[in-house]
Amino acid sequence: MTRYMSLYWLFLLQRLKALMEYRASFILGATSTIIWQGSSIAAVWVVMQNVPSLNGWNYDEVLMVYGIITLAKSINHMFADNLWTVGRVYIRAGGFDRFLVRPIDPLFHLLADRFCQDGVGNFIVGLALVVKASVDLDITWTPLMVAMLAVGVISGGFIFIALNLITCVSSFWIIDSVPITRLVFDNHLFAQYPLSIYPKAISILLTWVIPYGFASFYPASYLLGREMGNLAWVSPLIAAFLMFIGYRFWQFGLKYYSGTGS
Amino acid sequence: MDAGEIVGYIGVNGAGKSTTIKMLTGVLMPTSGEVRVLGRDPHKQRVDNARDIGVVFGQRTQLWWDLALIESLNLIAKIYDVPPDRYKNILDQFTETLDLGALLNVPVRNMSLGQKMRSELAAALIHEPKVVYLDEPTIGLDLIVKERIRDFIKAECGAKGMTVMLTTHDLGDIEELCQRVIIIDDGQVIYDGPIQTIKKRFGKFREISFDTMKEAKSLQLPDGAQVLSAEERKVHIRFDRTVSSASKVASAVMNQIEVTDFSLSEPDLADIVKQIYNGALEREAR
Repeated sequence: MTRYMSLYWLFLLQRLKALMEYRASFILGATSTIIWQGSSIAAVWVVMQNVPSLNGWNYDEVLMVYGIITLAKSINHMFADNLWTVGRVYIRAGGFDRFLVRPIDPLFHLLADRFCQDGVGNFIVGLALVVKASVDLDITWTPLMVAMLAVGVISGGFIFIALNLITCVSSFWIIDSVPITRLVFDNHLFAQYPLSIYPKAISILLTWVIPYGFASFYPASYLLGREMGNLAWVSPLIAAFLMFIGYRFWQFGLKYYSGTGS
Repeated sequence: MDAGEIVGYIGVNGAGKSTTIKMLTGVLMPTSGEVRVLGRDPHKQRVDNARDIGVVFGQRTQLWWDLALIESLNLIAKIYDVPPDRYKNILDQFTETLDLGALLNVPVRNMSLGQKMRSELAAALIHEPKVVYLDEPTIGLDLIVKERIRDFIKAECGAKGMTVMLTTHDLGDIEELCQRVIIIDDGQVIYDGPIQTIKKRFGKFREISFDTMKEAKSLQLPDGAQVLSAEERKVHIRFDRTVSSASKVASAVMNQIEVTDFSLSEPDLADIVKQIYNGALEREAR
C-alpha cells in the first residue's frame, strides 16, 4: 500500500512536470472547466431567480447540493479520467499491453498514468460554491459537519469512479466504452439538484441504483439539517461496495481480454 | 529455450509471432496447452513474471511521450524497484553503450526513430531482467543504428547471460545475434535449430561459378543442374543438391572445358527464408 502511494506520488510529479511543458494547455484546461461550470451555474441562477424555492429549497441550498457533487465529480475527473479513454486510447492502439507486462496492478497503472488537470477547475468551482452557500446560509460548522463534508465528497468521488469503472469494463469487449459510460454518468445531472424535487422513481434510482444522491443530496441534507440527512453516513459503505463490485468486474473483463487478445 | 540463449523467432506476418510473445509475457492466456517461463505460468503469476522479463515492442513505445527520457527511466526504475545505487550504475553504463548522453533530457516525442529505439532498449533492460523479448527491435532503422543496437544486445544480454527471444524480419539481426532459430508458420514450428542447419535443410539449390579459358557453349550437365547465365569466360550453374552434387557438376564441366577457377557460393539465409515464406504463402492460397 505504501509502495503504491509513493509510486502514485512519483507518477503525479512526472505528470505535473510534463504538464509544465504545456503550461498554456494546463491553464486553458483548468480555465475551460471553470467557464463551463460557470455557465451551468448561471442556468441554476436563472431558474432560481424565477422560482425562488424548489420544493422548499432556496437558491443557496441548491448551490450546496451542486457544490458537493461538483467536488465529488472533480475527484473522479482528476484521478480517474483514464477510465473514459481506456478503450479509445489504450486498448485500441495496443498501449494497454504495456500495463500488463509491468509488476504493478494494471488498474493502478492506468489511473496513475494520467492525472487530469482539467479536474482542478471542477474542484475550485465546487469548493467556491460550498463556501458561498455556507456563508449566505450562515452555517455554523461543527467538527462533525466538516467530517461529513469530507466523507460525502470522498465517498461521492469513489461512487463516480466505481460507476465509471463498471461501465468502462465494456471496452474489453467493444473497445469504445464511452457511450455506455456516458449513459450512466449523465444521470449525475439529476443529482445536481435536491432529489426531493423529483418523482419517487427518480429519487429511488439515484439513491439505490445509480447512487449519485450520496455524492450530493444526502450530505447536503445533513449539513443543512434536513430530514434524510443522516442517511449520508451510509455513503462510505455504498462507495466501498461499488468499488468492490467495480474491481471484481474489471478483473473479469481483464480475464476475457487476455483470453482473446485484440 | 535454455537460459542464456539468444533465439531468433521468425515467420511471415500473421504466423503467430506476436501472439506467442503475448502468451510468454502473460498478456494473453493460451487457449490450450501450457506456457512456462522460469518455471512460472506467466498469466497466472503475471506480476512475478513481469519482474523478471523485459519487453520491447518495436512499434509501440514503453516510454511516456511527453517526459524527458531520464524522467521515464527514473519512473520505470521505481516501478521495478531497482535499488538506487544499482540503478545509477546501469544508467551510467547504458548512457555510454547506447550513447544516450544527449538524449536524457529530450522528451520522447522529439526523438527520431533510432533515438527512440535506443531509449526503448534502455527502458526494457534497466531492471536487468532474466528474460528479454525483443519484437522487431530494428524495424525501420538505418544500418548504423541497427549495428549499434545489435552490438548493444550482444554485449548487454550476452554478457549478463540474459535469455533473449528476438523476432525480426531482418535476417542480418538473426545472423549476427542468434545461435538458434525457430521458424513458425500458421502457429506451427516448422524449423528449430542452428542457422547452419537451416541452410543445409532448406537450401535445396546451390550455385557454382566457373572461370573458363574459352567461351562455354552447349555444356552437357548432370540431371538437376542448369546454366543460370553464361558470359564470355564465366558461367554460373545452379544445381539441386538432392539430385546432384557439387563434385558431379564440377567434374562434368571440367571434362568439357578448361577451368581456371571456380567457386561454390554459400546459400543466402535471406533466400532460404524467402523460399520458406513463399511455401507458406502458397499453402495458404490453396
